[in-house]
Amino acid sequence: MRLDVMTMWLSLAAFAGATVLYAYYFLSKRATFSWYASFLTGLGFLCLTASIGLHSSAVEGSRLVGPYSVVLAAWALVLVYFIVEHLIKLKVYGTVLVPAALLALIVAQLMGAGAPVGHLAPGELALLENWRVAVHVVLIVFGNAGFLIGATASAAYLGLEAQLKSHRTSTLFKRLPSLAQTDSIARRAIAFAFPVYTGGLLLGVLYAVETDQAGWWADPRVMMAGVVWVVFASYLYLQYGRGVSGKTAARVALVGAVLVIALAIIARTLPMGFHIFAVAGA
Amino acid sequence: MHLTLVGLSHKTAPIEIREKLTFPAHVQPQALSALTRTDEIAEAVIVSTCNRTEIYAVAGTEGGTDAVIDFLCEFHDLDRHELARYLYVVEGHAVVKHLFRVVSSLDSMVVGEAQVLHQVKEAYDLSCESGASQRLFHKLFRQSFEVGKRVRTETAIGENAVSISYAAVELAKKVFDTLEGRTILVVGAGKMSELTAKHLVSHGVASVLVANRTYERAVELADKFEGTPIPYDQLFERMREADIVISSTSAPGYVIGKHQVAAVMKGRRSPLFLIDIALPRDVDPQVNDLSGAFVYDIDDLNGVVNSNLEERMREARRAEVIIEEEIASFEAWIESLSVEPTIAAIRTGAEAMRQDELAKAFKRLGGLSEADISTVEMMSHAIVNKMLHAPTAVLKSAATEKDGYQLVEAVRRLYGLDADHETLHRVRGLRALLRRSDPAPKEDEGDTVGC
Repeated sequence: MRLDVMTMWLSLAAFAGATVLYAYYFLSKRATFSWYASFLTGLGFLCLTASIGLHSSAVEGSRLVGPYSVVLAAWALVLVYFIVEHLIKLKVYGTVLVPAALLALIVAQLMGAGAPVGHLAPGELALLENWRVAVHVVLIVFGNAGFLIGATASAAYLGLEAQLKSHRTSTLFKRLPSLAQTDSIARRAIAFAFPVYTGGLLLGVLYAVETDQAGWWADPRVMMAGVVWVVFASYLYLQYGRGVSGKTAARVALVGAVLVIALAIIARTLPMGFHIFAVAGA
Repeated sequence: MHLTLVGLSHKTAPIEIREKLTFPAHVQPQALSALTRTDEIAEAVIVSTCNRTEIYAVAGTEGGTDAVIDFLCEFHDLDRHELARYLYVVEGHAVVKHLFRVVSSLDSMVVGEAQVLHQVKEAYDLSCESGASQRLFHKLFRQSFEVGKRVRTETAIGENAVSISYAAVELAKKVFDTLEGRTILVVGAGKMSELTAKHLVSHGVASVLVANRTYERAVELADKFEGTPIPYDQLFERMREADIVISSTSAPGYVIGKHQVAAVMKGRRSPLFLIDIALPRDVDPQVNDLSGAFVYDIDDLNGVVNSNLEERMREARRAEVIIEEEIASFEAWIESLSVEPTIAAIRTGAEAMRQDELAKAFKRLGGLSEADISTVEMMSHAIVNKMLHAPTAVLKSAATEKDGYQLVEAVRRLYGLDADHETLHRVRGLRALLRRSDPAPKEDEGDTVGC
């Protein structure tokens, strides 16, 4: 078995273990479990990093496209989660984000992330082997990770708000952080992700213009990315410019997250448009 | 020797009796000294709180329990027959369980309160200072503190508010995360709003606004919190500054309506938390429909308290499991004590045998050099140690097993140790510590004893 495949399976196992431990921590609130969960998440992250690196060496440079970009998204999600956990000392989000990363890895495996990417025409290959493409993909992946973390906090906000309104308190209510904290996490994560995502989009657009790609703007992926950008721009405007209630802002963030997920699915299933090389085997 | 506990608590005695039987810290050295001066009591700890007075003792003789009851009557000059109605007596294994339940606050009036662990620690410290605690109580009480800590960290028994005013604080924290720097507006200068405001201020609220129809009463209450009195007609204008509103007026109808709060919430980003503790209610319940406004009336707060109490009872069941684990660990320790004299006796016998045989061998051999003697001695040591290593390990392991004592007794017969009456007495004495186990007082009724 190839070493990159082995380390990928190890990271899957570590994330699965961490998922169970985070769930147990969420229910029991025993700090020991959160420590072991963080340890396994860290181990999984290192294995995944090693797997990405080894895969890159084995295939002489990973193409940051197709199902493999889902692997990168999972990696970015865990990295951003660690940064959030370090900054705000809230382990409870691991209960949602680590399973999300695990799910992304499983989906990537099912889509054949480890398999060789389909043959590309020499012209397409030349287009892809450019630093701008790499930076574009990395920025988009990190931007999406930030958006998803913001949306998770927004979902927590809506859940908490509903319970406070109905005067009923459940285990979920007691375990989640306060309304103020969830709102602040959502705002900060999206405020961090938005310029990163914007940078990624701009770089992509500039590269498409530079390389004279006809009709690049009509690519469904490009168009949906534009919609995602508008939704999160509206979120930031509503939060910072208009000072709307946390509930309205949280709903906008969730709409944005649904679009990010839809975009990820569409981009990998529709064999059409400028990003056609992103479809496995195409 | 056996463990005994004589005491009374809020479950068995009214406050008129409990207050007669207290042992304040300054009288405890004298009381402990009087208690342990007799032959009947070897070790003692007196736990005296507003809800319980309990004397834990290691009794040297069968009459130890009676000696403790006599001491209680004499020390407080009370009639034994009158007092006996309120007392409970627990013995042996059940004492360990009772103490572990007490420090875990499962036996407290408010299950999950944190104070009792600290009070038992103080009682143990006083006993140590008076020299009334020795090896057994050092182990028992130190382990009980570990039990208390485990229960608090591994369960959520002390986490949720069980009083109305603290529930309000907890809910406010769920909205704002921290109360530091927040502003509260008190509407009506009644006792309940004052109490709730006091709780909020103690959690870091920065400024207090007080509105009352009688301005002088507003000034009076504001002074207590170094707050600001405001004229009643500016109520909704100043509500914009507030994060939390506590309302407790005696008005016959709603004083805070939906339209007024909607105007306050316009263009506002932070939530508004309204606590309505008035009866009839002051805040129109429809205010809760407004985005960012959360209204809790007295029934809602009671609902939170009841739900929290149920949660504590669920956590108490988890705590009982921890207590059972810790009791097993304490019993294993007691069993290991009973193994120690057996191991020591085997080793002493083997050493005596080794010395005898060496003396005979040296006499027969004669003329051995210093180096030869040393080699033979080392060899004999090594043989004895190797021979005894396995039985020692098996005995130590048997000490933690349920029927391990059967193996210990078999070993004693094999090595002919039961002829050693002193060791036998020690072993039996240690086991007897836990054997005399009367049923523990039930949580809802408590054991009483007639003397």
